[in-house]
Amino acid sequence: MVDAALSPHATLALNSARLRRALRADQIFQRLTFCCALLVLVIFAGIIWALVDGALPAIRAFGFAFLWTEVWNPVTERFGGLAPIAGTLITSFLAMLVAIPVGIGIAIFLTEICPRPLRRPIGIAIELLAGIPSIIYGIWGLFVLAPMLQQSVMPPVIDAFAGIPVLSSLFAGPPYGIGIFTAALILSIMTIPFISAITRDVFETVPPVLKEAAYGLGATTWEVLWNVVLPYTRGGVVGGIMLALGRALGETMAVTFVIGNAHRISASLFAPGTTISAAIANEFTEAIGELYLPALVELGLVLFFVTFCVLALAQYMLYRLEQRAGGRS
Amino acid sequence: MTMAENGAVKVAINDLSFFYGEMQALKKITLSLRRNKVTAFIGPSGCGKSTLLRVLNRIYEIYPNQRATGEVLMDGENILSPRQDLNLLRAKVGMVFQKPTPFPMSIFDNIAFGLQLYDRLPRSELEGRVETALKRAALWDEVKDKLHQSGNSLSGGQQQRLCIARSVATKPELILLDEPCSALDPISTAKIEELIAELSQDYTITIVTHNMQQASRVSDFTAFMFLGELIEFGETEKIFTTPTKKRTEDYITGRFG
Amino acid sequence: MNQGRYLRRRIRNLVFLSLSVLATGFGLAWLVAVLGTLLYEGFSGLNFQLFAEMTPPPGEDGGLLNAIVGSLMMNLIAVAVGTPIGILAGTYLAEYGRYSRVAFVIRFVNDILLSAPSIVLGLFIYVAVVLPMGHFSAWAGAAVLGTIVIPVVVRTTENMLLLIPNTLREAGVALGAPRWHVIRHITWRAAQAGIVTGALLAIARISGETAPLLFTALNNQFWSLDPNAPIASLPVVIFQFAISPYEDWQRLAWSGALLITLAVLALSITARLLESPQERK
Repeated sequence: MVDAALSPHATLALNSARLRRALRADQIFQRLTFCCALLVLVIFAGIIWALVDGALPAIRAFGFAFLWTEVWNPVTERFGGLAPIAGTLITSFLAMLVAIPVGIGIAIFLTEICPRPLRRPIGIAIELLAGIPSIIYGIWGLFVLAPMLQQSVMPPVIDAFAGIPVLSSLFAGPPYGIGIFTAALILSIMTIPFISAITRDVFETVPPVLKEAAYGLGATTWEVLWNVVLPYTRGGVVGGIMLALGRALGETMAVTFVIGNAHRISASLFAPGTTISAAIANEFTEAIGELYLPALVELGLVLFFVTFCVLALAQYMLYRLEQRAGGRS
Repeated sequence: MTMAENGAVKVAINDLSFFYGEMQALKKITLSLRRNKVTAFIGPSGCGKSTLLRVLNRIYEIYPNQRATGEVLMDGENILSPRQDLNLLRAKVGMVFQKPTPFPMSIFDNIAFGLQLYDRLPRSELEGRVETALKRAALWDEVKDKLHQSGNSLSGGQQQRLCIARSVATKPELILLDEPCSALDPISTAKIEELIAELSQDYTITIVTHNMQQASRVSDFTAFMFLGELIEFGETEKIFTTPTKKRTEDYITGRFG
Repeated sequence: MNQGRYLRRRIRNLVFLSLSVLATGFGLAWLVAVLGTLLYEGFSGLNFQLFAEMTPPPGEDGGLLNAIVGSLMMNLIAVAVGTPIGILAGTYLAEYGRYSRVAFVIRFVNDILLSAPSIVLGLFIYVAVVLPMGHFSAWAGAAVLGTIVIPVVVRTTENMLLLIPNTLREAGVALGAPRWHVIRHITWRAAQAGIVTGALLAIARISGETAPLLFTALNNQFWSLDPNAPIASLPVVIFQFAISPYEDWQRLAWSGALLITLAVLALSITARLLESPQERK
């Protein structure tokens, strides 16, 4: 192992003052880097402490019922987080429903179909798009997407499903333009480049010879993808999707503009709703009273817990892929 | 050449040239592969022997800027023709690579995958065909109790025999072996060489190898290539005992390469 | 061989590949629409006034100067503090603690922080900085951005250092150089481009951060350079102006959005160009 060879003690035999000074400096430097690394843990612990500490009054007042109570009344100081929690989960779920197939489709296009000279430019464009701040998507959603949906998409959809049992309540009017559906659509648009960039990277870890072997049996491109590439990269693709889900769950600005900020759960996807992050962003600076602020912080705590679980799972799956890729090459 | 008595021609290669972009890797190769015989391609690294093999199932087509000119007639049909259906061609030509390439699925599915591409077989027949293929590859006894474990759980030599079983399962007409033993230990190598000898009763086989002893042990015909050219081609025994070209002799006796 | 089955396979292949082309068209169309609108709406407002005047009250002319300066100031503090910490921490993970258990935990936590919702970081700084200070401030805003910078820099620094072959380190140590000399003069230098890339990406990342600034730096309609006072920032101003009912505010919001996007794109493209050639695929 390298560390043994590089151990500072190995050179201690040369006993000169200059050398000892150098070794001392080395030790100080090592401690300095270690402290900085520990700071990462301190931040993490700080987040948990701050969230728990800030949320404590609300936790004491409402207990676990906070998680399944829908009422959100600043006047009577009664708070329940069900509407934003459900809104967060529903918008992210719907966003993934669109973003996963489209994102993977783009990755397939980039690795298998796209003419070679275009692969790099399109690939880079997608990576750049993945880095565009979410507030840009939010303002576009507010000024372009929402009016468009309100005028030309929602009314015909509402009419078309009017008589059909489940669908009529799922897509019930009036067409506000903003709401759960719009927020989910914006979320999916902004997670698409993210998913396709990761998936493409993961697809490229497949050894070419494995694909050759499958083509060599007479398999079609789709069969090679479905039977060899996807199973081989399953962990990485799922990891990438979880990472995107983590982003979507905690996304604030893309959602806040277009969700409508209504603390209720409605059967219709076209109705306004709220998410945890949108509720915090919209209400935090106006929150006065003993329990309003703690209730918002408690929502933040719930969000942090959920994203932590999702992201930890993502880490685990990507880590496993890395181990395997390392072991094979 | 007087090789007519050694069986009919399965594949006739005429004036075959191959290009990686601008770089010419094969120069006007002409030779024939005999039915139910083993033909070995030997030569130093970069001589084009693997490239020649990769033309025979047109696997090079999945990369850009690679093209072949000339003629490769399999049973009289030119497989280089643009009208040739690549999937059907590759179904007729099996290929085994230098490193084992088990697919990320169970041992059973590895073999069933190729079988199911062209026929929807009832479960019982599928199982029978998988068993036959594994037996042919002398792997059945070692894996029959763990057919549903991942193909990756096998040892390197077993994985390579799994890949051979996978390619014989679809009953190809021609089998391409690209240095199939170079990543294996001597015992696995011996097993695979035995297997090649046995398979040659039913299949036309070509093998690329670095290992001269291996070529002399397993093949009926040998082609010696150098810098993209076919230097000498003939019956293995003749090539190894009385080569006509000086370069062949030098290579075989280990004076270069 | 079963001809019908083969035909079905080929059709399925065609269908799915067409679907993936369709998906690409669908995905790219949205993204083109977003960027197109942004250019169209924002470009007309990109003028000298934007950079020379303060954010106006509704109905009056104005620019975004105080917001731009506020953003620059907080970004600068965040990067100036966060980058060295991130580099040192990344160095620990790659050099001293590569195989230790602590490093494993730190790596895991760092990757979580990398994708953690920024609004939660905002809550953390609110409780840890704003409440004790008693008021919103540029310091608090910079602190939030700093906690976003650190994980990004840690990750890229470690990745870059891991690419340096061990033989290079061994060669340095074999000359009798102490470990920290080797790190400063050999490994850091070899990884220089990558580390700078990491810092640029971190700046790109915080340039558009809005949510956590809402309740740390808050906003300020006026010119301010006082780090102890609330301060305007480009993203927060965009947010407030965009949701306002005033048209001239909305126009300013579009111009600001275009400004941020251009800055982020410029940073990411520079970062890409800096990447060492052997790293590109």
